[in-house]
Amino acid sequence: MSTTTAAPPDPVPTWESATAARSGRAGRAQAVVSEWTKVRSVRSTWVALVVIVVAGVGLSALVSNIEAGRWARLGLVDRAQFDPVRFSQTGEFISQFVVGVLGAMVVTSEYATGAIRTTLATLPRRMSVLYGKAIVIAGVVFVVTEVTAFVSFFVGQLVLTAHGGRTLPAGSSILTQVRSSTIPVVSITNTGALRAVFLCGVYLTLLALLAFGIGFILRHTAGVISLYVGLLLVLPLIVQILPSSLSDPIERYLPSNLGLAMIVVTTRKTDFAGVLMAPWPAVGMLALYTAAFGALGAWLLMRRDA
Amino acid sequence: MIEATGLSKSYGRTRAVDGLSFEVQPGLVTGFLGPNGSGKSTTMRMIMGLDRPDAGSVTLDGRRYHDLPWPLREVGALLEAKAVHPGRSARNHLLSMAQSNAIPSTRVEQVLDQVGLTAVAGRRVGKFSLGMSQRLGIASALLGDPGVLLFDEPINGLDPEGILWVRNLLKALAAEGRTIFVSSHLMSEMALTATNLVVIGRGSLIADTTVQDFIDSNTEATVLVRSPDAGRLTGLLMAAGASVTTRDDGGLLVTRSTPAHIGDIAHSAGIALHELSPQQASLEDVFMELTSDAVDFHGSTAMAESS
Repeated sequence: MSTTTAAPPDPVPTWESATAARSGRAGRAQAVVSEWTKVRSVRSTWVALVVIVVAGVGLSALVSNIEAGRWARLGLVDRAQFDPVRFSQTGEFISQFVVGVLGAMVVTSEYATGAIRTTLATLPRRMSVLYGKAIVIAGVVFVVTEVTAFVSFFVGQLVLTAHGGRTLPAGSSILTQVRSSTIPVVSITNTGALRAVFLCGVYLTLLALLAFGIGFILRHTAGVISLYVGLLLVLPLIVQILPSSLSDPIERYLPSNLGLAMIVVTTRKTDFAGVLMAPWPAVGMLALYTAAFGALGAWLLMRRDA
Repeated sequence: MIEATGLSKSYGRTRAVDGLSFEVQPGLVTGFLGPNGSGKSTTMRMIMGLDRPDAGSVTLDGRRYHDLPWPLREVGALLEAKAVHPGRSARNHLLSMAQSNAIPSTRVEQVLDQVGLTAVAGRRVGKFSLGMSQRLGIASALLGDPGVLLFDEPINGLDPEGILWVRNLLKALAAEGRTIFVSSHLMSEMALTATNLVVIGRGSLIADTTVQDFIDSNTEATVLVRSPDAGRLTGLLMAAGASVTTRDDGGLLVTRSTPAHIGDIAHSAGIALHELSPQQASLEDVFMELTSDAVDFHGSTAMAESS
């Protein structure tokens, strides 16, 4: 052929995605699976969880050992305040900061690197991201702190028993404890014991969520940790300086005292009498704080540019 | 297809994007050109639903990003290569993204292989070079096998071999019928990769056209002519309506004429020609000229050349 016919331009194929067709939509369920992968795939998570377990069990053994040695020399009032459950949960003081960092970092580490934009692009319904992260961090902290609390409890009682302690009969009163010739050891079935140990994990889980909520408000790790530590450590100091007419009504609502209200057993009847809320109302109060920070964080997450 | 209509966005008193409208067609690579700070990344973020426009809207095949049921399966994006937790491995990063959109985990290995990161997939991303991070970002864009792909400065930090790879990848993806939108401040790169262009300066649209039209319509066709009898030729050309500039080396730059016309005039006057060559203005020249008013930060010449 002497003439060439111009070939028609290649028609552009229409793109047919192999993966796009799928019913439903990406939401909370996918967010939970994805966030779990994120949490378990960074080393800092595991370091933090090991610190919680070691601090919990280690301090339980240490403090129970010290307190057991003091029993013989204690007066009646001190014997009444002897709280074997609380001794076993001493690690809670350290763990409250560890869970705060965990809860904050789930949010702030993504803002620090810019990865939050990837996260919000994968799940543009932003509340799914918030729920997914909250469920995962609460779940991880709850499981680890509950296991730690119960192991710490039994280790503490074992240490007391090793010092010659005897389990008090169920339903025994403070009077029985004061009159006891041997170091009192608490059975998990004793009044308040199960509640106190269980609520130790609940307290730490609520604190992790509190820091998480602050994370979405402030978005910078340093700021979140400062405010969080301020609420737990600095605020009580400020309240203490106030005249007691002012401080007395406030004190029971401080997050740290809400935690104490959940965890103490024997002591509440003596030196904290009237200062602490009842355990379950304290849970409700702390949950309210957590929900308030969470709601503000959620509102800001929905409104702000990523 | 991506359709932006009247997009505007301010940060405080800075107007980052101002009434921007454009369309990005499927089956082609569309370049998104503008000087640094001209609003390209802001526009990309608004397409992805990350930043909320003050006015206007942008849709992907007729839907807002927020309304896509499985966004990663329809839109893939490389926004910032380094926006990954440094302590996580490349594989786990991609896995968490896949899980968020119920994408089978087999895709993770496929895209790792596609971008050549399989061997380092278990390493912490914090140890990655910028080039490796770019490859990971491209892998995450490809993860859901989407029909729309956004790349913000994809060749930053890549070596020449990597740049060639990206260029071919973008063309191959477009040839499959996908919509490809690539931002860059490198005009020469866009000239090689893109077919269509969206050009912005200071947040406003400067041009929405093809690369070829962009060059043609913004440069006068210039022909370089050399002749031993340049003086007489200049007179004849000017008489024929062309404009002529004499260069220092004696060459004539002729506009408002064509090589054929110039050749005919010379031939009929018996003037010998030693050179008759059409001058192609580069995309770079056109771009520099068009955006020179629209650059926010003028550096000194020395700085501009080093960047």
